[in-house]
Amino acid sequence: MLDTPIARSVIDHALSLGADFAELFIERNQVNSISTLSSEVQAVQSGIDFGIGVRVVYGTKVLYGYTNRTEKDELCRIVTELSAKDSRDPETSGVSFDFSVPRDIHSAERTLTKGSEVESKVEFLLKADRIARAVSNMISQTRGGCLQREQCVEIFTSEGLHASDIRNYIRASLSAIASNGSEQATGGFNDGGLIGWEIQEAIDAEKTGSEAARQALVNLSAKACPSGRMPVVIGPGFGGVIFHEACGHLLETTSVAKKASVFHDKMGELIANPVVSAVDDGTMAKEWGSINIDDEGMPTQRTQLIKDGQLTSFLADRIGAEQTGHDRTGSGRRQSYKFAPASRMRNTFIEPGEADLDDMIASVDRGIYASHMGGGSVQPGTGEFNFAVTEGYYIEKGKVQYPVKAATLISTGPAVLKEISMVGSDFALACGMCGSVSGAVPTTVGQASLKVDDILVGGNA
Amino acid sequence: MEIAERVLQWVTEAGATGDLMVAEGSSLSLKARDGELEEHKVSSSQVFGVRVIKDDKAGVAYSEAADTAALRLMVDHALVNATYARTDTNEQIPDTEIALATDDALLAPIDNVTVEEKIDTVLRLERELAARDKVKNVPYNGVSDVTAAQRIFSTAGLKAVSRVRACFSQAAALVEEGDKNVMEGWGQGARRFDELDIDNIVETAHANCLALLHGEAVPSGHYDVIFDAQCQPTMFSTFSMMFSAKAAKDGINPMRDKVGEAIGDPRLNLFDSPLMDDGFGYALFDDEGSPTARTALIAAGNLETFIHNSATAAHFGVQTTGNGARSPRSTLEVQLHQFEIGPGDADDDAVTAGEYLELTDLTGTHSGANAVAGDFSFGASGFLCRDGERIQPVRNITVAGNFYEMLNKIGLIGKTRRWDMNRHAFMPPIRFSDVAISG
Repeated sequence: MLDTPIARSVIDHALSLGADFAELFIERNQVNSISTLSSEVQAVQSGIDFGIGVRVVYGTKVLYGYTNRTEKDELCRIVTELSAKDSRDPETSGVSFDFSVPRDIHSAERTLTKGSEVESKVEFLLKADRIARAVSNMISQTRGGCLQREQCVEIFTSEGLHASDIRNYIRASLSAIASNGSEQATGGFNDGGLIGWEIQEAIDAEKTGSEAARQALVNLSAKACPSGRMPVVIGPGFGGVIFHEACGHLLETTSVAKKASVFHDKMGELIANPVVSAVDDGTMAKEWGSINIDDEGMPTQRTQLIKDGQLTSFLADRIGAEQTGHDRTGSGRRQSYKFAPASRMRNTFIEPGEADLDDMIASVDRGIYASHMGGGSVQPGTGEFNFAVTEGYYIEKGKVQYPVKAATLISTGPAVLKEISMVGSDFALACGMCGSVSGAVPTTVGQASLKVDDILVGGNA
Repeated sequence: MEIAERVLQWVTEAGATGDLMVAEGSSLSLKARDGELEEHKVSSSQVFGVRVIKDDKAGVAYSEAADTAALRLMVDHALVNATYARTDTNEQIPDTEIALATDDALLAPIDNVTVEEKIDTVLRLERELAARDKVKNVPYNGVSDVTAAQRIFSTAGLKAVSRVRACFSQAAALVEEGDKNVMEGWGQGARRFDELDIDNIVETAHANCLALLHGEAVPSGHYDVIFDAQCQPTMFSTFSMMFSAKAAKDGINPMRDKVGEAIGDPRLNLFDSPLMDDGFGYALFDDEGSPTARTALIAAGNLETFIHNSATAAHFGVQTTGNGARSPRSTLEVQLHQFEIGPGDADDDAVTAGEYLELTDLTGTHSGANAVAGDFSFGASGFLCRDGERIQPVRNITVAGNFYEMLNKIGLIGKTRRWDMNRHAFMPPIRFSDVAISG
C-alpha cells in the first residue's frame, strides 16, 4: 500500500533526527454494513478508510501522528513536527527491510474483495426476523445487522521489519423487542469471527431469530431483581466478560507500567482461587479476537495469564515491554491508523474445569443465575468493575425460581477472582468489542459456567 | 469547493438527488508520566460521505481518499446501496438553496498558546497533582486541542460550513492510604486553550479523591437521591431515545404513542436548547441545513414533541425541529443539541433538607441501561448527606430502577441551574424519591 522506498526515506528521516525507534502503520479498511428493521432492509452502507500512522519513539516517549496522504514529503513533515522538541544527533541510520507475510491461520473465502453478497446477507437477516416473529405475537419489532470488513495492514519499522496482513471480520446480529401492551423488553443474539461470509454455514438464522425472541420474552416476564451480597452463578460464553473486566484489563502493561493496576507487583503470586486458570490466545483459528500478527508486526501467541490461581504473565506491547521488563506477547493492538498501539486482549478466557452447572445452582441457598451477561467497565487503579446481566434468574434453596431484570454485578478484580469457587465444563466463547486507550478492537471472551461465592448484586426489588 | 461540485454532478447525472458531507479535523493531544511527556499525538484527517436518493430510496457511502477515482467509486457504491433500501418517500433532500456558516470568532477562536506551552501545561498538571497529599500517581491525564470543520453541499443548493474548536484537560489520581485506595479525577472543556484552569482541575481532582477515599457502602434500601451536575445529565442522555422521532418511527421508542400525554411530574419542563451559546452543543442549523430552535420536549410533565429531522417530520406530518444529524459515515438520524431543564420552585435548602444520597459517579451507564424498557442498574459512589452536609462518603453501591417511572417520582426541583463539565446540559438539581440502592 506504501512504496517501500518512501517508507525507507521516512524512517531514515526519523533516525536522522535521533529517534530510537520509528514505525509506519498503513491501513486500508473496507466496510459493508446492512441493517434490517420491520422485516425490510433499512440501509446498506459502505466505505473505505485509508491512512498512515507514524510513530516515533525517544526512550519511552511516544510521538504519534497520522494522515490520509501517502506522499513522502507529507510523512516526513509529520516526523519533523513530532520530533521538534526531541531531535538529537543520530546513533543509527540506514534501514533495510526484511519483508515477511505471516502464516495465515484465519483464511477467508467469501471476502469483501470478492463481493459484498448483499442479497445473501439480507436473506439471512430476514429469515432470522421471520423466525423471531413466529415465536410469539408479542415480538413487536426486530432489528438485524450484518457488518463485514476487510482490514489490510502494512507495517514498516526502523528495526527492519516489513510485514503485512489481511483481516476479514464479519458479525451478524438480531435484536428483538417483546411487548405486552404496557411493557417492553429486549433480547438479542449475535455471532462473528475472523472469517468471510462463509460464516453463514456455521451460524444459523433459525438459532439467531429464536434465541433473540426467547430472551426478549424471558425478560418481558422478569421481576425486579433482589439486591445485596449473594452468590452468583454466571453462565458460559459472554459470562467471560467478568474475567475480561475484572482481571484482563489489569494485566495489560498499559495499566501495569503506570502502576495503575492492582496486580502490577503481583507476578508469581496467588491472585485467584486455585480453580482459576486463564489464557489470552490470539492464535485460535478464525475466532473474532484472533490475529496473525499484532499491530506492531509481531506474530501473535497464546499467553497463559493465570495458572492454578497464580499470576504467570502480563500482556505486553513493545513500549509496555520496555517499561516493565516483561516479554512482548504479540498483544500490541489498535482500532485503526488513528491510534498508537497498546497492549490489548485478544481471545481471553478462563479455562474449563470439571464442575456441573446443576451442582452450582443446587449449592446456592439465595442468589442469582446470570445466564447471559452484557458489557461492563473497570477502573484499573482500584480494580473496581461493573457489568450488566442481560438474562438472569433468582435462585432459592438450590432451584431456579423466576427471571429477574435490571441487575448489575459490582466488585473488584482481586476480590472476585478469589470468590470463584467452582468452574464448569460447558466452555463457550462469545465475541464483543473492547474499548480502551488504543480504540475499540474485536475481542472474544469466554468461560464455562462458574460460581462466584459472594458479589454485590444491584437490583430494583 | 470544486470536489463537491464534481461529486454532486455525478449524483445528478445518475438521476438522483443527494448531499455530500466533508469532515476535516486536526488535533493535538498530550499526556505526561512521571514528570516527562509520555505521548504527543498530532493528526489531520478528512472524510467524504455522500447520500444519494433515487426512486425514493436512500444510500450512503464514504471515502477517506480524495482522488477522483475513489470519490467516483464512493458515489457508485451509494447508488448501488440505495437499490437495496426500502422505499421511503419521506426522506428527500430538503429544498434549501442557502449558504450557511458558523461564527469562527465564537466557536473556533484562536489563541496564541504554543505547542511548547501546551506541553508545559500537561507536565504541570501531572506534577502538581502528583505532589498532593496521599497521591500515589496520576495514571490518566492529558490536554487536547481539536479543531473540526464540517461542510455540507446538496444538489438543492445547500452550502453549509461549520467549524468548532474544543480544548480539554483532565486528570485522574490514584490515592492510597493504608489498605484504602481510590481513583477519581476532574476535567474541563473550553473553546480556547488559555481558558483551561489547570489549578482548578488539580484542586478538584484531589478533593474528589480525598472525599471518597474512605467511602463505604450504605445498607441496601430505598433512598432519596440527588444526582450531581455530571450524573444527572448522564441519566437523561442515557435515556434520550425517548425523545427520538426516528426511534418512534422505527417502533422502538417506548414513548411513541405518548405525545400530548403526561409522562412526568408536572413541575418538570425539559427543552432541547441549541441557541445557548455558552454550551458546547450550540448550533444555529442542523446537518440538513435546517434552522434550530429551542424546543420544549416536556412541558409541565407532558410530552410535547419528539426531535425531528425532515424525514421523520414528513412521516409524522409535522415540521422539523432542526435536529437532523448525519456524519459522513452514517444515514440520516436525529440528535439532541443540549439539554435544558427549567428551574423548579424549591430553594437549595429545601432540595437538600433531611437525609439523601448525593451520587457523584455512575459506572456502567453504557451497559447497565435498557432504553427500550427504561430499566437501569449502575455502579455508583457519592455521599450520604443530611441537610446539605456530606456526612459519609459512599462507595461500592448500585443504583437501580426504571428511569421512565422515576420521572414521576420527583420530590423537588431546585431553582439554581448549572452547566455540566462538558457543557452539554444546563439543569437544576432534582431530588428523586424512593430510589433502590444496593450496598
